[in-house]
Amino acid sequence: MTRVRALVMLLALGVAGACQEELAAPTECPELCPGLSLIIRDTTLLANQDQDSSFTGYVGAQEMSALLISDGINAGEARAFATYPKRPDSVTVGGSTLPLTVDSVALTVNLLARDSTLGGLKLFLHRIAPDRDTTVTLADVDAMLTPATLIDSVVISDTLKRGTIRLVLPANKLDLLIGAGSDSGRLGIGYRIKAAEPTGIRIGSLFSVSGGPLLIAYGRVAVIDTALQRQTLTVPAEKANYVIEVPAVSGNDRLVVGGKLGTRSILRFTIPPAVRDSATIIRATLELTPAVPIRGLRNDPAALQVRGVLVDLGAKSPVLANLSVTTPSRANDTAVQEVEVLSIVSAWLGKDNSVPTVLLMGIAPEGGSFGRPEFFSSRSGTGAPGLRITYALPSRPGHP
Amino acid sequence: MGSLRVALLGLLVAVPVAAQSSQFGVRGLGLLQRPISVRATGTGGSFGLFDPESALNPASIGLVSFLNANFQTVQGWRRSENPAGAASARDNRYPGVFVAGPIGGTRLSMSVSASGFTDRNFVLGSRDTLILRGVPVEAFDTLSSQGGLSDLRAAVAWRQSRAVQWGLALHLITGSNRIESRREFADSSYVGATERFTYSFLGFGASAGVMVRLGRSVTLGGMVRTDDRLRTERDSLAIGSIALPVTVSGGARFQLGDRLMLAGSALYRNWSVANSDLLGQGGTGSVNSTEVSAGLEFLTDPRRAFNRPIRLGLRRATLPFPLRPGDKTTETAVSLGTAFRFLADRAGFDFALQRVWRKGGTGFEETATLLTLGITVRQP
Repeated sequence: MTRVRALVMLLALGVAGACQEELAAPTECPELCPGLSLIIRDTTLLANQDQDSSFTGYVGAQEMSALLISDGINAGEARAFATYPKRPDSVTVGGSTLPLTVDSVALTVNLLARDSTLGGLKLFLHRIAPDRDTTVTLADVDAMLTPATLIDSVVISDTLKRGTIRLVLPANKLDLLIGAGSDSGRLGIGYRIKAAEPTGIRIGSLFSVSGGPLLIAYGRVAVIDTALQRQTLTVPAEKANYVIEVPAVSGNDRLVVGGKLGTRSILRFTIPPAVRDSATIIRATLELTPAVPIRGLRNDPAALQVRGVLVDLGAKSPVLANLSVTTPSRANDTAVQEVEVLSIVSAWLGKDNSVPTVLLMGIAPEGGSFGRPEFFSSRSGTGAPGLRITYALPSRPGHP
Repeated sequence: MGSLRVALLGLLVAVPVAAQSSQFGVRGLGLLQRPISVRATGTGGSFGLFDPESALNPASIGLVSFLNANFQTVQGWRRSENPAGAASARDNRYPGVFVAGPIGGTRLSMSVSASGFTDRNFVLGSRDTLILRGVPVEAFDTLSSQGGLSDLRAAVAWRQSRAVQWGLALHLITGSNRIESRREFADSSYVGATERFTYSFLGFGASAGVMVRLGRSVTLGGMVRTDDRLRTERDSLAIGSIALPVTVSGGARFQLGDRLMLAGSALYRNWSVANSDLLGQGGTGSVNSTEVSAGLEFLTDPRRAFNRPIRLGLRRATLPFPLRPGDKTTETAVSLGTAFRFLADRAGFDFALQRVWRKGGTGFEETATLLTLGITVRQP
């Protein structure tokens, strides 16, 4: 009995001992603490002189993620165009190929973004020569967008922020889709936009998740079963692109990001050894001063994307996919743009760390956004890019 | 021999391992620990000089006639108050392992033990407001330490006679303080930062003691101990050394009849020798410390002295490491204890319950309840 009692007591004590709390005792530092807490410092590192530059061509001429259409905005004049292949004249119904008598056609595009505060947008569709290639200029396209080539226009609902814009042509207007004999039945469509104020829209391209322009033909086939008489034929555009004429960059002391072909800028910094070896960075902010009001579409902010690189190979530096941050870049903003880049900069620290102290900037979606900021560079007299870091230095507290 | 091997293995892990112990363990080397058994703890420490299971006086093992090993654990409940607020916590420590036995065919006995020398487990929390990028930002700081110093002792005692025993011991003082300092911010734009490092300590010492029985009822005991400088490293980088004190202790025990024993003892350490070293390393220095204790043990069954005794004790001490320079820090404790033996007295449990009050400076107070359990095994 004595042994049993002792065993029970030991067990109870063991259970009590297994529960531990670590509650902090309040104290008044530094008077009563054995040493100071971590020392916090703040400094701004300017980008290395003459080691920042811009490079373009990261997006293929046919690979943009959206088509841009604009009228009068500071990001540039943009027109979109698409080419449809020759429309089949028959459909397969119940295993038989039957001629389709078309009685109406719908031309659709997918609206990806707009200035939702501006109403009264109207999209104009013109019949243009197909197969416009990437060398076409804005003037070339505008020359084709005349009243004579106008198919029709469609008013974009003021409540539509994303979704399908559809222009339906009844049978008596189908002749407007017939081009010259040299087109071989292929159809070219040019798009422009108008509104009470300068504005723009972005519509889906062939690379968009939502899909590019479509032509949908509605018609009848000669079958007895009335349920099968009405048929539709959907023809996706085989090519779709846009042309944009952007204002020239003024001066070679500018860093540019964005644009149709994907312009990126590279920045290099030198981290002081004392910070690199011993500090813990608690906040890192990339500060960029716009040289001109940020070009873009109002209320459709582009994402200013900053990434770290694996190896510094200049324009061809491979990016670290897991070290990427973005911040909205709003049209017409003149304030210093701040991007929190702590996750990238933290990867630079450590005595023998070989990760390049390089930031690669771009715009997302690349090639499919109106956003095209211009920033001062290290060659500019003022407003050079800066990396503001707030860091903690060890204080070695807890001394005996 | 098998028992001894197991016990020696236990010595290697007998270090302070638990959470916050006391706000008075923040400064200097921490809160001093006492190398005494649960039995001695139950008597306020007054029996420590005479107790064959305590590592205070190397002569006290002189009358050991069996190989015995004991292990103890302490569960503590504590409430701390200071001008910044109050907090409650509980913790668990394993302050000691002790093995002793006679050397056959001689008048010698030996022991090896590991006991806590200082305990430096603490967590301190504070808040501050910093101006970061021109904006006030509230910061929350946490400073914690885990660890302490252990005293590994090898002792030998010579039984000159039934009345007089002498003892010598060598000490190895080793341990570490694992420090973590963390700073968090109310503004989520800033991430927290942490620094971690370890203070390591190493020192050596020697002690000598004597126990003398005068007549049938009076036993006197005394010991003196001196330690070398305690070398200090921070993450393997030598940063200095700290002088350790000379310890002197003496006491008397009185046997009153078959059932009652009374004891009283005093202990003095000249910790002021470490003052300049601690100040040089950024601390608040140190002062000499004293400890006096008195206690009794009442045997409910004189034929089985270690079964169900009643132990009472009282202790008063000054602590060597002030929270602020010039502060006087005191510790007062009352204790009671008992024990149970079974398996023909080959195994048993000892219990001690202490209530401790600590005070230091203005507004710094602490109360703690400590429950100590000892497990003893002996091999006749």
